[in-house]
Amino acid sequence: MTGQTDKLEYDVVVVGGGIAGQESALNMADSGLKVLLVEKDLSIGGKMIHLSKVFPTLDCGACITTPKVSETARHPNITIATNSEIGDIERLPDGSLRGVLIKHPRYVIEKDCTGGGDCEEACPVIVEDQFQYGMVGRKAAYVPFSIANPRVATIDIENCILCGACERACPADAIDFTQKIEKREVIAKAVIVATGFRLFDPSIIENYGLGRFRNVVTSMQMERQLVPTRPYNNVLRPKDGKVPDNIAYVLCTGSRDITLGNPICSQVCCMYSMKQGQLLLGALPMADVTIYYINIRAFGKGFEEFYQGTRDMGVEFVKAKVGTIEEKEDGDLILRYEDAQEGEVKEAEHDLVVLSVGMLSNPEAPMMFKGGALELDEFGYVRQVDMLSNPASTNIEGVFVAGTASGPMDIPDSIASAGAASAEALSFIKRKA
Amino acid sequence: MKSRIGVYICECGSNISDYVDVEKVKAAVEQEEGVVLAKITMFACADSTQQEIVQDIQEEKLDGMVVASCSPKLHLGTFRSVAERAGLNRYNYVQSNIREQASWAHSDKPAEATEKAIRNVKAAIARTRLSVAMTPSMIPSENTALVVGAGIAGMRVAIDLADTGSKVYLVEKDHFVGGRTAQWGELFPTGQTGTEVIEDLYREVGKRENINLYTGCEVVSKSGSMGNFEVQLRIDPRGIGSGDSTAVPADFEKRLTHAIDACPVVVADSFDFGLTERKALYLNPGGLPGLPAIDRAACTRCGECVKICPEIDLDQKEELLDIKAGSVIIASGFDPYEPKEGEFGYRQIDNVITMQQFRRLIEICGERLTFGGKEIKSIAWIFCVGSRQTGALEGDNKYCARYCCTSAIHSAVVAKKRFGDIQNYHFTRGVRTYGKYETIYEESSSLGDIYLQSFEDDPPVISSENGTTTVKINDILTEEKELEVEPDLVVLVTGMVPRAGSTIGSIMKAPAGLDGFFNEVHPKLKPVETVIDGIFLAGTSQGPKNITETAMSAHSSAIKTHTLISKGEIELEPTMAIVDRTICEWCGKCSEACPFDAIDEVKEDTKSVAVVNEAACKGCGMCLPVCPVNAVQLKGFMDSEIEAMIDAMSE
Repeated sequence: MTGQTDKLEYDVVVVGGGIAGQESALNMADSGLKVLLVEKDLSIGGKMIHLSKVFPTLDCGACITTPKVSETARHPNITIATNSEIGDIERLPDGSLRGVLIKHPRYVIEKDCTGGGDCEEACPVIVEDQFQYGMVGRKAAYVPFSIANPRVATIDIENCILCGACERACPADAIDFTQKIEKREVIAKAVIVATGFRLFDPSIIENYGLGRFRNVVTSMQMERQLVPTRPYNNVLRPKDGKVPDNIAYVLCTGSRDITLGNPICSQVCCMYSMKQGQLLLGALPMADVTIYYINIRAFGKGFEEFYQGTRDMGVEFVKAKVGTIEEKEDGDLILRYEDAQEGEVKEAEHDLVVLSVGMLSNPEAPMMFKGGALELDEFGYVRQVDMLSNPASTNIEGVFVAGTASGPMDIPDSIASAGAASAEALSFIKRKA
Repeated sequence: MKSRIGVYICECGSNISDYVDVEKVKAAVEQEEGVVLAKITMFACADSTQQEIVQDIQEEKLDGMVVASCSPKLHLGTFRSVAERAGLNRYNYVQSNIREQASWAHSDKPAEATEKAIRNVKAAIARTRLSVAMTPSMIPSENTALVVGAGIAGMRVAIDLADTGSKVYLVEKDHFVGGRTAQWGELFPTGQTGTEVIEDLYREVGKRENINLYTGCEVVSKSGSMGNFEVQLRIDPRGIGSGDSTAVPADFEKRLTHAIDACPVVVADSFDFGLTERKALYLNPGGLPGLPAIDRAACTRCGECVKICPEIDLDQKEELLDIKAGSVIIASGFDPYEPKEGEFGYRQIDNVITMQQFRRLIEICGERLTFGGKEIKSIAWIFCVGSRQTGALEGDNKYCARYCCTSAIHSAVVAKKRFGDIQNYHFTRGVRTYGKYETIYEESSSLGDIYLQSFEDDPPVISSENGTTTVKINDILTEEKELEVEPDLVVLVTGMVPRAGSTIGSIMKAPAGLDGFFNEVHPKLKPVETVIDGIFLAGTSQGPKNITETAMSAHSSAIKTHTLISKGEIELEPTMAIVDRTICEWCGKCSEACPFDAIDEVKEDTKSVAVVNEAACKGCGMCLPVCPVNAVQLKGFMDSEIEAMIDAMSE
């Protein structure tokens, strides 16, 4: 793409390259439609590409997601724009949709970069690695992560000191600091919003001490410690690098909590916490895992069986709401909780605490539409206007929603939701034709 | 003989390399005959590795390829397409499964797991050496779908497929469409009624000329395969007209009503789950098509109805209809769990009913909620009846039925709002109002509903004495105190079970899981596909779902079906049985063994021989071992290849 201003035309624009966006794009492309897939991040794959094994089958997340990423990337009917956004979407009088595609510069020429990492070696700037959820560092010139697609480097211009080391090191001459934001007008017959969710940030719950107590981590940080591309090649607690042997999970962190403005259940935390529990028992055979829960929501196909299996493997379940977490001198943590079964306040000591954070709506979904025309529900998710028959339909004709943009969902439900979005979009396009 | 083989050993992250020493595997196989390249990869399926393999094939002029990774069920297709992109015939690719068969199966014995992996890879190399390039054949496919079941899922699939240009046969076993949803009143969270949702879908079905709807219709048999199924349907006569409710004489409806009144036969009304009775000539409340039907099992052929309404024809015969379809979508729905006699007092204590009965009860009742002549002021809801049968609960249904917590709480709220002054007591095992459904749980709590919870091994106990029913629970929310409630009505929150007596699974050969519902191939990779190519699942035939989830599933099935059948032709695997006519002395054993009727006797000049119908053969290999003269072989799995694998493994 160069700086031209001529408009791009597609049958469908899919916004978001996570599992729901990819599935939607593939369904549309397999039906013969031309698709533009817009991804804000540097790689497609969404949240799923960063997960370890996924419930309830315990397939490794990468084994399922990377082939789909690959299929999406090389499908002849799909054009992918990473590091890009779309804005100002509006309906034109002829019924089509117009928007502006904004491609942010990588400062790397995508087609020339081989992802070899020479720039990464050369770069002297070290910052927190967002793809490892801050547990380790990365360079300002970097390949996002090992299974990224496209697997090309980027310059983090916010942190770059413009020393030019990367430019000198690159054997392909692919570094280009002159790149600018490019804007192109896009016309499409339908838009699928698959912008996903944002993770709840538990540092606002002061009583839990995330940020103050280093051995309190989020479930996404634990997830990264359990993947093959993990930062420490073992499960370690951050404060002293000790292998933990008594791990606690605090469920409903930021979910089902009116005081935090999120009264709804996030649907996935019970299951992924149990899954992590199972994986931890495998990785650390001597460790104890305790899950503090309000209700266990193992509702999907094979989930209850997974819950029973987790109990049988020896993960302990305590029906309790955790009130506060305190740190001891040695870094161990004391949980104070109200034991629902015994009706009394109790304390328990653990050497690592995982906060099972839930999902919040992604505020970027409505911002893509001119005048905020896309309606949201009371929780900030994209409103489904015909929930019982056409669950992907939104208030704007020709705009459909897939995956967690419409509410908390697990992976199988996101895929089903993407099926709905693509089927509804396809029917819409064919009926108009 | 292939002599330039590339071997890729996948770590699968750490799934394989944690237990199998991949370096050792590489060292053991790189000297094998024909191997020119052996590499270890972290994720063989990752895009960057795929590109590397393509490059290797082209630069090293590889003529065969082995990836030692996961089960071919997961990624055979992935790597075949890698081979093809590089210009290598996809049948010169062999997958060796060292994950499920070595690392996962023997995680307690890493050394042996490694040894097994080495042998598996050597066998794959041996097979690759003898592999032969093959070309898939293309067969024409019908752009027609058969949708079994006209509930919300089936009608939804039919509408989508019709919109995208397919012809649809939509068949419903019952005389009325709408399935279970037609039986429900107000629905959560939209407040629409079940009848309204069904009316909308039925209207949309009616608008589309390429949908052929048959009610009272069952699938009798199926033959053929993906793209070209041949299906026989049996249409049960309605007994009135042709089922087309348009263009009828003005007084027709009135006469039909009189005819129903005149019918002397009374049976329990299954639409109301036995709470009421109906005639043998009947029309469900809001039933569509809006024309009564005759219940032929109950009808005594007395002729009273015909006297009033001569359009009724008791002599209508069932019809058989042969159709062709490119694919079949099973949308046969669910049954509510029927508790056993005595299970939580069911059928032993008068005021114990199921949730589905309660849903009908609130529709039947007028201003006041009554049951058995008594006004209902308090209700005890017993959750998880027929679901999550673990601990002290007897039964085989281990699964959670997903929709019942939300549905029960919603029903309790509806009853309270409609009839006022009702106290609900919820006896739960942990409420599962997931996601946004949490709002109904909150609403019910704020309306004053009381929640009690028992542990798995300690369910509530229901007893009755002198006309008073008592529910007792050791409530874990109040320090396990034993609490007692004496409700006017006990509602058993019964979940979903697979349709009883449904034959569609055995006709379509679609396998069911441990929970009895039809199984998808993979919940994330092929969530609406069955292992039988061309047969898809929609809605609750696959497992418990609420209406929104059912709609999603139906839409998904529709788009996957569309992708398969709309192109007019389908690729067939060349892996098929072949018969050596010089050896074959027709005995018929292979034909008997064939589950797909793909082998026929053909007379040649001097003898009869077996001939394989390529469109029907699925390459299953059932015919091979029964041949007494070893005249049958399977392309892609020739005896020479299998023997070479065995030799390599047992070296």
